[in-house]
Amino acid sequence: MVPVSEARLPAVAIVAAGVATPLGPDLDSYWSGLVTGVDAISGIERFPVGDLRVGRGGEIKKLAPLRHGAPPRCRASALLLHAADDLLSRAALTADRTRLAVVVGTALGGVEELERAMEEAPGPRVAAAALYDSPAHALAERLAARGPVITVSTACASGATAMGVGADLLNADAADLVVAGGYDVLCRFVMRGFDALRSLTRERVRPFDRRRSGLLLGEAAGLVLLARERDASSRLGRLLGHASSSDGSHIAAPDPEGRGLEHALRGAMAAAGVGARDVDFVSAHGTGTPLNDRIETAVLKRVLGARAYDVPVNSIKAALGHTMGAAATLEAIMCLLAARDRVVPSTLGYEEPDPACDLDYVPRVPRHVRTRVSLSTSLGFGGCNAVLVLEGGG
Amino acid sequence: MTRVRGVGVRTGWGEGVAALPADAVASAHGRRVIALARPALDGDRFRRATRECLLGVVAVEAMLRDAGLTRDVLSGSRTALVYVTAAAYGASNRLFVGADGASPARTEGGLIKEGSGSVRPGGGTLHFPYTAPSAVPAELAIEYSLRGGYVILVGGATAAIDALWQASTLLTSGRAERALVLAVETFAECEDLWARGRWAARGPLVEAAACALLDGAGDLAYGAVEEAAPLETLAARRAGETLACGPLIGLGLAREAGAAEARLTGHWRGRRTTVTLALCESRAPAH
Repeated sequence: MVPVSEARLPAVAIVAAGVATPLGPDLDSYWSGLVTGVDAISGIERFPVGDLRVGRGGEIKKLAPLRHGAPPRCRASALLLHAADDLLSRAALTADRTRLAVVVGTALGGVEELERAMEEAPGPRVAAAALYDSPAHALAERLAARGPVITVSTACASGATAMGVGADLLNADAADLVVAGGYDVLCRFVMRGFDALRSLTRERVRPFDRRRSGLLLGEAAGLVLLARERDASSRLGRLLGHASSSDGSHIAAPDPEGRGLEHALRGAMAAAGVGARDVDFVSAHGTGTPLNDRIETAVLKRVLGARAYDVPVNSIKAALGHTMGAAATLEAIMCLLAARDRVVPSTLGYEEPDPACDLDYVPRVPRHVRTRVSLSTSLGFGGCNAVLVLEGGG
Repeated sequence: MTRVRGVGVRTGWGEGVAALPADAVASAHGRRVIALARPALDGDRFRRATRECLLGVVAVEAMLRDAGLTRDVLSGSRTALVYVTAAAYGASNRLFVGADGASPARTEGGLIKEGSGSVRPGGGTLHFPYTAPSAVPAELAIEYSLRGGYVILVGGATAAIDALWQASTLLTSGRAERALVLAVETFAECEDLWARGRWAARGPLVEAAACALLDGAGDLAYGAVEEAAPLETLAARRAGETLACGPLIGLGLAREAGAAEARLTGHWRGRRTTVTLALCESRAPAH
């Protein structure tokens, strides 16, 4: 076993959350969609997919007008601003704006604007929007944030890494409030890429199911407002600990042994000061690919021991697609809402058990169960792993 | 205070800060981009790696020489890797956008089957993973068996300051014993796009890869500032526009001057931040 950091980290408060997802344009519709088992996968309509093996995903069909100002042409920025609108409807940004930080994660940044830039011979504005950090700056401008503005890109673990960096900013007293989260959009660039890798399924997404055959992509943005514990008068929950690691194994596939994920999982639990017996729920990365789900299951069993069989483990990626940079933040938010309402959404698409995936994956119907401490695991291209330990309730 | 054990720099001007001209603008003679050749590391292991991945490896090797360390010191879970870039994914992204009709790979047991799928430039199946900013640190993690804390930040010189702060945070909190901070910037393939964004990066655009190995722990001065530190001005004058590599080149210049401490600043998209680091003595023989 690899040596694991024993370092404890101070918990930070998660004051509120805001989202824009294919399940719904705000937190309430997102959560009700998850609990009632809505399937938001549909045929992609916004760009041509006729030449691809798979043309379905979790596409947001309509974006409502923003509360303030015109929507940006860059869709990635637009999704972030919609999530910010939702967040701001639930919490006020009370900090001095020089102490307000923005940390967002993305796998793709404004890459759709690069596609546009190459088609249209554009001016400087489109070229600038093609930079990965442009949407973060659009969000900072919307929030009038003048503290650190940081873009994280640990592929599909980005949303978790961003929340971890946000917590670090608070603990280092480099900010008083942090808006953290992740986003990504569906565009031809990413659909072509995953299609070529044959990672996309022509069937239903079935995380942990014996018949699982791949993932489908989705687009979304998810944001949380983080504050130091002593500064939060109310909270949705707490981020108890976080950790990241690299596989050092393969450019596109996870380490077959899951060593990097195990290291991150153990590190995050040590940082949070929680042991296996404290864990009530696991939100798995659960992409529905044959390799990922098997590796995650094996790692959870190694880290949690016998407790792994008693803890509900779910994946929400069949409901809204793999939303890449947004996924980890949306899943963290789901953990907190599950604790609040004492219900864990089911794993949509999971029907037939796989002997290699033998944990409790919350089949068919949501589970009414009290959860306090949750683990949220994320993996991404380039051997990126990130784990969050969350606690629900105020 | 967090200490800098070693610094490695490779730029379009050559190896190390000693190769930097006194005045990058004058030395560019009107060239918009000062490019770096693809390093000659092409064995089977690196057959798919992009130029920027190989430049990252070259920078780490230079840092190890500077620190008088062997690569073994980096391996394992106690070395964190913090990668930063504003531009290095641009070439592979553009190539991928420009290519069309990649033939799909075959998979076996969930793993991509070697040799399957088309491999033509930009359209090859396995080109897609190299469009991610995580491709460069991934190749580095594989090469040096890095398995510790892992953060990738995207942005210009400000993001490099953020990366140094993040590395220091990992050290100070006990989550790592060493932290490798790496920046790579390439421009040649996207020269016309950067020309449209002159507001973001003034010429000459100088391709660079730079890294620093940090250890130690302690309070770190980090935050927003108005004025450029002398090292920022010096690095820009001598190296040219190197975006996220700028602060690390500044570290190299401070080290060359025999400074015990370096106050770094970096500017990007209207924001300037600062961080201060202690410098250990270089173990590399003087040139």
